[in-house]
This record gives sequence, C-alpha cells and structure tokens, in this order.
Amino acid sequence: MNVRVVLPSQLQGYTDGLREVPAEGATPGEVLADLDRRFPGLRFRVIDEQDRVRRHILLFVDRERTEDLDRPLVEGTVITLVGALSGG
Amino acid sequence: MPPVPLGPPTPLAPEELARYSRHLLLPELGLEGQRRLKAGSVLCVGTGGLGSPLLLYLAAAGVGRIGLVDFDAVDASNLQRQIAHGTSMVGRPKVESAAARIRDLNPHVAVDAHAEALTSANALRLIEGYDVVVDGSDNFPTRYLVDDACVLLDKPNVYGSVYRFEGQASVFNWRGGPTYRDLFPEPPPPGSVPSCGEAGVLGVVPGLIGTIQAMEALKILAGFGTTLSGRLLLFDALTTSFSELTLRRDPDRAPVTGLTDYDAFCGVRPAALDPALIRVGATELRRRLTDGWRPYVLDVREAYEAELAAFPDTDRLVPHARVAQVADDLPRDRDLLLLCRSGVRSERASAALRALGFERLYHLEGGLLAWSRDVDPSVPTY
Repeated sequence: MNVRVVLPSQLQGYTDGLREVPAEGATPGEVLADLDRRFPGLRFRVIDEQDRVRRHILLFVDRERTEDLDRPLVEGTVITLVGALSGG
Repeated sequence: MPPVPLGPPTPLAPEELARYSRHLLLPELGLEGQRRLKAGSVLCVGTGGLGSPLLLYLAAAGVGRIGLVDFDAVDASNLQRQIAHGTSMVGRPKVESAAARIRDLNPHVAVDAHAEALTSANALRLIEGYDVVVDGSDNFPTRYLVDDACVLLDKPNVYGSVYRFEGQASVFNWRGGPTYRDLFPEPPPPGSVPSCGEAGVLGVVPGLIGTIQAMEALKILAGFGTTLSGRLLLFDALTTSFSELTLRRDPDRAPVTGLTDYDAFCGVRPAALDPALIRVGATELRRRLTDGWRPYVLDVREAYEAELAAFPDTDRLVPHARVAQVADDLPRDRDLLLLCRSGVRSERASAALRALGFERLYHLEGGLLAWSRDVDPSVPTY
C-alpha cells in the first residue's frame, strides 16, 4: 500500500527537512517501520517502548485521529503526525 | 452558533458606529454582534508573537475589555514578530507597551494590564473575570495551566502555537468540545521540543496564527460562524498550506479537579529563578538609563569583586546571600535594579526580595559580563 506521511517540524531532521515523504505499509505500524528503515530513529520518536503512540504525538489517518497501529489502510492514505508545540 | 453568555448588550456611541461601520455592514455580525463584542471581555495570556496580532485585532474590532498577562519586558529580539511593540518600548514591560498601543488604536477599549506571570496561584482569579481566554503563551507549563483553569472555570480556551515555519490553532473547552489535554495528555520530554528562542520562528507565522485566534475569539463573543472547536488547524509556511484534522474528547481522560505544579508536571527545572522578575539586557539598560530611568542599583556581588569591576552609580553593595537581612533598608517605592557578575546571583537575590513583598524588581541579564561586552568594554571582566 502506497501512502504519504506528513511530518511535524521536530521530526523533519530525520528526513533531510522533508515535510512529506512517501511510504509503504498496510497499517500505520508497517508504515512507521518502513520509515524507520529509511530514516533510522524516527519511529522511536513517535512510538514508545510499549508500542503505543507517544502521549505528545498525534497520529491521523486522513483526517481521523487513531492510536490503532494495526488499523488497515487504503491506497493513497495520508498519515499526518502532529507534535505538541509550545512556541508563541 | 450560540455565543458565549454575556451581560446586557452595551449601547454604542455615535463615534463607535462610524468606527465599526464595516462590521455593521455584515449581516452575520451587525449592530447586535458589535454590541456583544463591546459587552465582552478577553484575557490574552502572553503579549508576544501570538499575543501581538491577537490583541491588536481584538482592540480594533471593539472588544470591550482586554486583559493582558505577561511578566516579560520588550527585547530587541522580539520586534521581528511581536508587532504590538516598538523600538521605543525596548526594555519596558510588555503589558505596558501593549496597553499603550491598544489605547492608541481604540480608546473605547478598557485594558487590564497584569504584569505578572500566570501561575497556579493566580490563574483562577485572573481568568475568572473574562468571557474568553486566548492562549498566546510560549511554554508547555503555561499551556496546561491555561487549559486546566479554563476547564475548572468553564471558559473557552482559544489555542495557538508556533514553531519555525509551522503553526497550530484550535478552540478548546467550548460547548463540550475537546480540551488541550484531550490532544496531549502529557507534555514532550523536557528539551525534546526546542523553543522558538532556540530553534527560531518565521515572524509572520505567529502573525497568522494569532490572527486566527483573534478571529475565533470574536466568533465566540459575537456568535457568528463556526469555530475551530473539534478541529485542529495546521499551517505550514514553507508550502503555504493549511490542513485540518478532526479532534474528539478522550473518554478515558482523567477529569481535571484542580490546578497542580505545572513546572514539575512538564519536567521543567524547578523555579529557582523568579519568573516575575523583569530582565533587562545590557543595551536596553543603557537605553533606559540614558532616557532618565533612575533605579536603586543593588550590586549583589562580594566586596572584592566590586574592586575588580564596578558598575557606575551603584547605590549599595550587599552579597546576594545577605540581601534578605538588609531588606528593611531597601526602598520599596522605587524600581530596584539588581546586578552581579553573570546574572545568576542577582536572580536568586530577586527571588528572596520578592518573597519579602518587593514588586519593582529588575535584573541586569547577563550581569556585568554583558555590560562590558555590549555597552562599556572599559569595565574589566573576570
């Protein structure tokens, strides 16, 4: 399954500054594993040691928030990761 | 959209009808909406990058009473984005600068200037008196504090946040909608998300997000349109793109029952340094002294240090550990400027004085090292 992943600023250091990257996977978990192969360390910033989405990160499949890393994806899905920001 | 409950609508004077004529032409707003704006009040937490456009638009729009909370002073590095402040205000308290700007922009607006940090001790008291709260703060502890206090007081919290080229906006705790804690039950680990002061921010990004916050506050007050409640708006300046994501309440989230120690919750270092202290940089201090400011200057170094390098016009030299013991001899009716070699001891001494009730405390940021580097190289460094 080909999807697109949109990354927040604080994770773009892993992707050479790219905000949006293509990825493959049938679930969010597989997509993050694919990203981690290409951008080592990125997954750990999103997923904790218990394989859960970290509490200060939001994961959206298209516009819907989910914490289900096994949720089936469809071709062309956009996964958006959102990080907590504090600046003002 | 049903608006926030307000007191009785306030009549508009003839000059106000002329001032707001472009609003009055909008059927969605009209005379009734404009009266509601005048009857309404908004508390702006922070008068910086987000707060600047926000407070300007709220004032221009005719919100009847605007509260400003900020402990900080205007710094030259603020002016790239904090457009409520001007070069002539560098070194002055931000709320003073912003209040002056509001009064010039719209004399029909009442301004409450709260020159203090928002803390667990004062948040409920400060927020209680306003219809809408807008979060323009720049740190995680304040964001959680604002959100929790709004939940406890049942106030809408208009949220905005920025970082580098990115911005977020939403409306929390509005008519059963989600809160900040529904999004982020816990803050990031300390240091994992740099601040704008560390990583930078394009000045127009808080301009855009703060303007959106102003718009949402006006909608809540006047009751037109649809707010961002239940939606998170993302902005990316590099691609000039907006996107929108759906938010929901977390049914498993623990209810907010009171305020807590937010520095501890966010893992921020203990508040050993006084957050209410007004920090003045060396070049700002020179400007203020040149302009006629005459604070009582308290050097909190050791005597031998004063022999190595002295600050001009020092009123008293007292080692920082002994400041509390001489407090009775220090003036409470004058601005008190504390200084030391690098700025650490003067911050500690200020905390001791604040605990004793001193309020007009200023501190030379970076100490004599900064003064020698930025203003007077003839002052030796050691």
